[in-house]
Amino acid sequence: MIKDITIGQYIPADTPVHNLDPRSKIIITFVFITALFLVNTFFGYIYILAFMGIALGLSKISPKYLFRGLKPLVFIIVLTAILNIFMTEGEIIYKLWKLTITKEGLIQAAFMCIRLVFLITGASLLTLTTSPIALTDGIEKLLNPFKKIGVPAHELAMMMTIALRFIPTLLEETDKIMKAQMARGADFESGNMIARAKAMVPLLVPLFISAFRRADELAMAMEARCYRGGDKRTRMKQLKFEMRDIYASIITIAFGGLIIWSRF
Amino acid sequence: MTNMIKTESVKHEYTSHTGKSIMALNGIDISIEKGEFVAILGHNGSGKSTLAKHFNALLLPNSGTIMVKNIDTKNEEMLWEIRQIAGMVFQNPDNQIVATIVEEDVAFGPENLAVESKEIRKRVDEALKAVDMYEYRKHGPHLLSGGQKQRIAIAGIIAMKPECIILDEPTAMLDPSGRKEVIDTIMKLNQEEGITIVLITHYMDEAVNADRVYVMEDGMLVMDGTPKDVFSQVEKMKSLGLDVPQVTEICHELRKEGIKLPADILTVEEMVVELCRLK
Ligand SMILES: Nc1ncnc2c1ncn2[C@@H]1O[C@H](COP(=O)(O)OP(=O)(O)OP(=O)(O)O)[C@@H](O)[C@H]1O
Ligand SMILES: [Mg+2]
Repeated sequence: MIKDITIGQYIPADTPVHNLDPRSKIIITFVFITALFLVNTFFGYIYILAFMGIALGLSKISPKYLFRGLKPLVFIIVLTAILNIFMTEGEIIYKLWKLTITKEGLIQAAFMCIRLVFLITGASLLTLTTSPIALTDGIEKLLNPFKKIGVPAHELAMMMTIALRFIPTLLEETDKIMKAQMARGADFESGNMIARAKAMVPLLVPLFISAFRRADELAMAMEARCYRGGDKRTRMKQLKFEMRDIYASIITIAFGGLIIWSRF
Repeated sequence: MTNMIKTESVKHEYTSHTGKSIMALNGIDISIEKGEFVAILGHNGSGKSTLAKHFNALLLPNSGTIMVKNIDTKNEEMLWEIRQIAGMVFQNPDNQIVATIVEEDVAFGPENLAVESKEIRKRVDEALKAVDMYEYRKHGPHLLSGGQKQRIAIAGIIAMKPECIILDEPTAMLDPSGRKEVIDTIMKLNQEEGITIVLITHYMDEAVNADRVYVMEDGMLVMDGTPKDVFSQVEKMKSLGLDVPQVTEICHELRKEGIKLPADILTVEEMVVELCRLK
């Protein structure tokens, strides 16, 4: 049951978007998000939509898959809509006891919801087309220049890699402990919130103990394989900018320019 | 013959958090030759893992010396050379795999040794082929069986081009087919690549193939010799809390009943030959 959770739902494929250097993709995503927050008219969203459309088309990811990523966040989107509808002042259209719906509120709600949907799908497109390893490599490389001011680039990337590596292992273990305790009469599903939280304690204690033991053994194994931090390390796969990264940058710069121009 | 690992009266003492001290190693003298396949036996807590960790400087002795290819493990400047020469595989395959893709994990060791990227690629492919896991190179390690994971861990060590591999109960968490995969891989590395093997195990039938068997008890080496020498002393092994291979045990019982069999039968094939000869 718990094993079905997938993270970083990467879909491997051989497309220009997949093959882009992860550094380019991370920067482009940042530009995209910044642009999204600069847009101040509904008309501006056309550029965003066009940019998304190109990226999505090139990546050959089905839009259905992209929108599936929205599901867990529907609550946030609905909440944003409700808050905007009722909290914005302006021309009253409908009055319900103390709550008022305004015209401005409806417009604002639609505007914010579209922004959120673009934000989430944009970020999903990055994780759908970039393997976790490429992503951590990209982050490490991008953070490297900031090492001088004390950003532990290599350590952060290593931590992310190990976390990604151990999430399936720990989920499997949680599942095992849960089943073992259920076999002895533990009940994780009934009762109110407090009762359920209490039932989790005997689950978390063995899980934590085992996680610490694992960490200890992993550290020993890493040392045995000559790990001594990131300074002298080489990499098997080296990141390299290609022509397609240049094309992607040109498109992105043009897109950014359009967005800024659309504000005036 | 040249020495791979040589120790002289090595002692190691742990202090537990209650302040009590345990003599985990109490004067170990061992010398392992290049290309040898050595098995170390002993019941729980006899100090096997502690000794193994001394072989690649994960632990340092309180007194005595350990030489790995004539390098003293106390020499801090040579630490990484020692760990490159003597690689180590641990019991739990899950807790020694670092990366989320098989080939990335095998590359971890050579990357740490600052090997050039093209050469790493070559070594990773060779190592994966040597353990027969090449077609799994793009898989996530959590999708593999225990035996496969352990072979990946071995590949990760081979890619560092070690001269000696120390395996601390590598089959303890595996099912019989996984155990066979791992043991076959180890034997192949020993015979074809000439890599020195130190195998710590609780399974006596794995020790039968070794060139030399050592038995530990309370931090000391109490028996050593060829598998035939060691396992034929059934009563002594039992008194140390250890088993002998099943066939050897049957043979021992038959001998007690007065049937004339040699004491050093280790495999079923030998037993068959000897039984046929009786008639
Ligand atoms: N980190 C430690 N701190 C304190 N005592 C330890 C530590 N590690 C091991 N010991 C003790 O040292 C002794 C030898 O332990 P060791 O792990 O070497 O035995 P072993 O032969 O490998 O046993 P097993 O077959 O269970 O793996 C044991 O009595 C153990 O309790
Ligand atoms: Mg042990």
